[in-house]
Amino acid sequence: MLVLKTPKDALLKPLQAVAGVVERKHTLPILSNVLVEVVGGRATFVATDLELQISTSAEEQGATDASFTVSARKLLDICRSLPDAEPISLEIAGEQQIKIQSGRSRFNLQTLPARDFPKLQIPDGEGLSFSLPQGLVKRLLASVQYAMAVQDIRYYLNGMLLSVQGTRLTVASTDGHRLAVDATDLEQAAVEGVDVILPRKTVLELGKLLGDDDEPVEIQINQNQVVFRRPNFELRSKVVDGKFPDWQRVIPVGHDKVFVIARQRLLQSLMRAAILTNEKYRGARLALTAGSLRIACSNNEQEEAQEELDIDYDGEPLDIGFNVQYLQDAFNNLASDTVQCSFGDPTSSMLITIPGDANFRYVVMPMRI
Amino acid sequence: MPHIQLLPDLLVSQIAAGEVVERPASALKELLENSLDANSRDIRLDLEEGGIKLIRLVDDGVGIAPDDLKLALTRHATSKIASLDDLERVASLGFRGEALASIASVARLTLTSRYAEAAHAWKVGALDGRLHTPEPAALARGTVVEVRDLFFNTPARRKFLKSPPTEYAHCDEALRRVALAHPECAFTLAHNGRVSRRLAVSDWQARALDILGEDFAAAARTLDEAAGPLRLYGLAGLPAYSRAGRDAQYLFVNGRFVRDKLLSHAVREAYRDVLHHERHPAYVLFLELPPEGVDVNVHPAKTEVRFRDGRGVHQFVLHVLERALGGCRESSAGASLPSWVRDGGEGAPITPAASPAPAYSSHPLGGGGSGGVPRPWTQQPLHANEPAPYYQMVADALAPPAEIRNPQSEIGAAPPLGYALAQLSGIYILAENAHGLIVVDMHAAHERILYERIKTAFDARAVASQPLLIPVVFAATGLEMAIAEEAGPALAEMGFEIAPVSPTHLALRAVPAMLKDADGERLARELLKDIHEFGLVGVHGGAMHARRNELLATLACHGAVRANRKLGVPEMNALLRDMEGTLRADQCNHGRPTWFQLTLSDLDKLFMRGQ
Repeated sequence: MLVLKTPKDALLKPLQAVAGVVERKHTLPILSNVLVEVVGGRATFVATDLELQISTSAEEQGATDASFTVSARKLLDICRSLPDAEPISLEIAGEQQIKIQSGRSRFNLQTLPARDFPKLQIPDGEGLSFSLPQGLVKRLLASVQYAMAVQDIRYYLNGMLLSVQGTRLTVASTDGHRLAVDATDLEQAAVEGVDVILPRKTVLELGKLLGDDDEPVEIQINQNQVVFRRPNFELRSKVVDGKFPDWQRVIPVGHDKVFVIARQRLLQSLMRAAILTNEKYRGARLALTAGSLRIACSNNEQEEAQEELDIDYDGEPLDIGFNVQYLQDAFNNLASDTVQCSFGDPTSSMLITIPGDANFRYVVMPMRI
Repeated sequence: MPHIQLLPDLLVSQIAAGEVVERPASALKELLENSLDANSRDIRLDLEEGGIKLIRLVDDGVGIAPDDLKLALTRHATSKIASLDDLERVASLGFRGEALASIASVARLTLTSRYAEAAHAWKVGALDGRLHTPEPAALARGTVVEVRDLFFNTPARRKFLKSPPTEYAHCDEALRRVALAHPECAFTLAHNGRVSRRLAVSDWQARALDILGEDFAAAARTLDEAAGPLRLYGLAGLPAYSRAGRDAQYLFVNGRFVRDKLLSHAVREAYRDVLHHERHPAYVLFLELPPEGVDVNVHPAKTEVRFRDGRGVHQFVLHVLERALGGCRESSAGASLPSWVRDGGEGAPITPAASPAPAYSSHPLGGGGSGGVPRPWTQQPLHANEPAPYYQMVADALAPPAEIRNPQSEIGAAPPLGYALAQLSGIYILAENAHGLIVVDMHAAHERILYERIKTAFDARAVASQPLLIPVVFAATGLEMAIAEEAGPALAEMGFEIAPVSPTHLALRAVPAMLKDADGERLARELLKDIHEFGLVGVHGGAMHARRNELLATLACHGAVRANRKLGVPEMNALLRDMEGTLRADQCNHGRPTWFQLTLSDLDKLFMRGQ
């Protein structure tokens, strides 16, 4: 029974979008499968790891209603490597097999029944729901996601805070050493505030799904689930059950040593200097004097790198150390051409902001070298 | 409810015996210690059925005066101490005055002794829990103790005894422990009428060889160092001779075998960097310190001790061992026998082995069947205390291009690891030195060199500290709170900042930059625990250091040359010279040996030349 026959592109795109969810190794075999559902000429592809579920859909030609699950990786690899010009057809061949055909290539794959596929439960109640341009959401994610912790035992740091209070939507992430926060305004005030932590994987996958344009993405936040929905995809994710640190407390105030600098220029200098940092703790010294910023790194072999930049600064001199990686991360991920750096004393944190943007803030602790 | 009443004397003794006499081996240990306290120089032991049926000990000590004989079997009666002052600086092995009484209460014991000035010997028996009156007996000198039917009157205890062979093995182990610490006394052990162990009077080194075997002695490093009142000497097994269990660990404090937490920790720390964590080192170590510096009256069996200056002892043991294992000391470079076997000097530390090795059989007992068998290979410590430039000089002077070098003329002056000949399978370096062929595991050796270099580099720098933007707050016990407060400045020096945030919570505010991605809470807890148990000294080698070294070891592993990397002769020579200049270069980071020597005579034997 022919299920669908479609150009390669129309099948590959939605498949690629969901394949990222599937983990390579599983104890539960069906989790390595993708659910394919064809209803009334519309095909839906669903993949899940029980925390995160992405479904994409596409109009397909010549489709008959059917549903089955099949190995996501194999299906994707096959579709990817088939010739572009030939249409691909999917057929159900017996109880537990499908047949893929394109030109003179044929593949038989095993399937598992669609009813066994563990879809995420749709929670009761509406929760909070609003829409934002997808490009804006994508930019928000990009400006904070690099500061998320990776496999920290403080599990609530392995993700991104999504907070809605009144008309304000804030995203923040931290790994305990540095913190990035960005925000935007909503058109309509939320009835009640909500704070959720999106798991790291959800944030990364969401960034891949969203486009750069201003088409709206519908966001729905329930007690323990978030949904991001566009006409062509739906991302549904559980949230991390935990309390995110109070990020407002760590944003320093009253820093008086401030300068504005071209982002790329500073980034390039840092990257050059970082070549001679110590492999394990990547310390860099920043020496601030009137009119100049000097960056110095040295390694175990007593080799030394120095970079000097002219800056518009006439405050007190300052000598402070940082993990150069933390600085590079921020400067790498910002979109703005200029950045503003503010310092207090050598033991207090540094604040990076964007001139003319009151929303983005990046805080990083100095290092005592 | 029953009334409170005084227990009968016999029962009191039997309860006491429960602490002291657990099995034949523990009775044996008590008897041996009595004999040694009586200045015996020759002790003979006869066991029957693993000591369950009979333990007979015959010594040549001073004996017991006839009048004291009966008292000797009474509880809390001893000649070893008389006052509290004596107790504080007790130098004898025993002092509680309980051993004989305890044994007498659970076995049929007869004690025959002839005091030095007495006209004849006297004999007293404690049979069926009743003390008999002394009667004259025949004995040339010393004391004979016979313990028959151990636990005959305490069937419950008897049930816990194992089979005679097992009990015998325990007795043998008890004898080994005592004998190791008392080489000035000869021991003979007979089991069921057959002599199974005979130890002649010797020095501690020869005694260790007799008891632990030459394998151990050949793979051990001799150490002997003193600092103030402390002296540590003994044999520390090289990491390559490690064991899967803790069976070959002998630690003596003032001649007394102990299992002490503090000392074991110091030893483990010393081995930490060179031993795989699942392996256990083998060692015989004797710690001597003034009797007042140590309290042995902690445990009835006296295997636990308490040091007045625990921190100092810990540090001393750790450093002496580290130095010995690090290869810092000049050691023998010659044949497979340890230098002291050849010199036989009394307590002589380590002598350069200029003299050729005499026949092994010159030694009283070592010469048996196994003494003449050649060891297929051997490993000598490197002269790592020589500054590397020295070797560079030698190498420069002696290493013309490899092709034209004539080994015959230069080999006498070659460096310890010799000159590279070739590479084998891209894994091993073959080199030639004065004694024959050297095989080096290239990756393992390079890994160690890099590791030590990186460690030194990091030690030389001040610790970089990374304050945390979001402190790690964790619930702490009162003890942890107190330690954190007390050790604040020392912690700061290590790059940590741990401060109380409430009466029950500590906050970790800064960690060493290198460990910034480690599990902060666990690290902090381990650190505080280390400080509590071993003082700040222990922390130097403690959890923090271990974690850091793990990281550095990974760095070193990634940086080291891999198998199948083709090395040229100059590169190989450079690696050999680096090894000679590196501490602990004999073992890779996981405790495996990095090189082996195959001597010419070993090779000759393989080919049966001259036979």
